Amino acid sequence: MTRYWPALLSVALSLGAVAGYVSLLRVPVIRNHPALYLTAFALATAIAALASWRAARWPNLAALVFSAALLVLGGYFHFVLARIPTTAPALRVGEPAPDFTLPDAAGAPVTLASFRDRTPVVLVFYRGYW
Amino acid sequence: MQLLAISPDSNERSQALAERLRARYRFLTDRDLTVTRRYGLVHARGGNKGQDVPRPTTVVIDRQGIVRWLSLADNIQVRPEPGDVSRAVRGL
Repeated sequence: MTRYWPALLSVALSLGAVAGYVSLLRVPVIRNHPALYLTAFALATAIAALASWRAARWPNLAALVFSAALLVLGGYFHFVLARIPTTAPALRVGEPAPDFTLPDAAGAPVTLASFRDRTPVVLVFYRGYW
Repeated sequence: MQLLAISPDSNERSQALAERLRARYRFLTDRDLTVTRRYGLVHARGGNKGQDVPRPTTVVIDRQGIVRWLSLADNIQVRPEPGDVSRAVRGL
């Protein structure tokens, strides 16, 4: 079994990257650098490829297929699915923010202009849970 | 400083999130994305069912109602660094 340690390392690295990214999603440095998991998948693929090249046995080849599949899927998600098409926002730094009134969680209306002269406002538009 | 979090989520959903986070946010519901659209922040068909969703965006507005800082996501996984936001708010 020990002769397959590169294959095991490769699989552990791939799974570790998935588990790490998902469990540390609330940590900004992890969340904002999704390329970290792609790097881990690429490294895992390289290790398994090297092991397969030295000994073309099924554990090495299985690790290669596994890590390469994660690399392709992860790359597709990161570079294609997660991309937001750039459209021009109606906001410019230095210009007034358009006023609005929206209901809060209790249903009470909140108007942006009501904070004028009182306090700065941070608006966070988020995707929600649908 | 007042934090306003805007999404198409229902009031009930926002209330649950507010209680869970115990944050200084006020959660506002933009059910049909009217305000999100007026701000030019719709990610067309970006939802998991192909529906329109907000493009993750953070806007810092000063006491005069002027936009002072803006962060627009170009990848759904990425959000602004909290430190950058607080630096932008400090001194307003």
